[in-house]
Amino acid sequence: MTIQHSVYISTDKVIVDGKALELTEKGSALLTQIYRSHIGDYPKFFKMDTLCKLGFVASELLLNSEGNRNFEPREDRAVILFNRNASLQADTNYQSTIQDSENFFPSPAAFVYTLPNIVTGEIAIRNKYYGETSFIVIEENDEKLMEQNLSVAFQDTDTKSIIGGWLDCTDEEHFEANIFIMEK
Amino acid sequence: MDELIYKLKQEIIEALNLEDMTPEDIDENASLFGEGLGLDSIDALELIVLMEKNYGIKLQDPTQGKEIFKSVKVMAEFIQKNRTK
Repeated sequence: MTIQHSVYISTDKVIVDGKALELTEKGSALLTQIYRSHIGDYPKFFKMDTLCKLGFVASELLLNSEGNRNFEPREDRAVILFNRNASLQADTNYQSTIQDSENFFPSPAAFVYTLPNIVTGEIAIRNKYYGETSFIVIEENDEKLMEQNLSVAFQDTDTKSIIGGWLDCTDEEHFEANIFIMEK
Repeated sequence: MDELIYKLKQEIIEALNLEDMTPEDIDENASLFGEGLGLDSIDALELIVLMEKNYGIKLQDPTQGKEIFKSVKVMAEFIQKNRTK
């Protein structure tokens, strides 16, 4: 298994294939800056929670770096991501809409574009990937464990490449993405 | 009515996170769904919550939304007639 391209995003740093992008914002504003300066034309972005925004912009930078994007349907690419905090931020936001019995207005939008599965689904739908999509919650950023899971995914003979890696978010100002395109 | 329409546009932008839009960008007669603002079914649920939270209107039958959410103007007229706060 070899890594072809990689993207690292923390709250104040963005690195694509080893090269830092010059961006000025931090935290959630950094994700919006990446969207506006390198992606655009996808208004759904603003409806996503931080985890989904992080996965979306990281995958866009990754795929732009790979090049030759044609959005043609393909079954040979999987999307398999990992994190520690699952959908904690979305759960907290949702809880805040139902916390007060006098002001009880559960927000449907708080559960759209939010759950970890939605991140992988959004990437797969946008790029027409029909391979496996999984979001696996593990105790820590454990490269060996992630590699084991990715190697199992490659046992599917249709799967030739995977968008995989770490995608974790505790709140709007604390997150980390370290994702890559891996080939068999 | 004009004031309510403008306020409603602001509330829709905020509730649906239409980040790149201003009230002036929304045609009060344009369809909210489909080719107009391009909202989806979850946005419709969010509009139902907005009406209850801000105007005390509880839709007994969610299918009423199809008529009420035709445009911002139609929605504002419904709110004016039925609001309890």
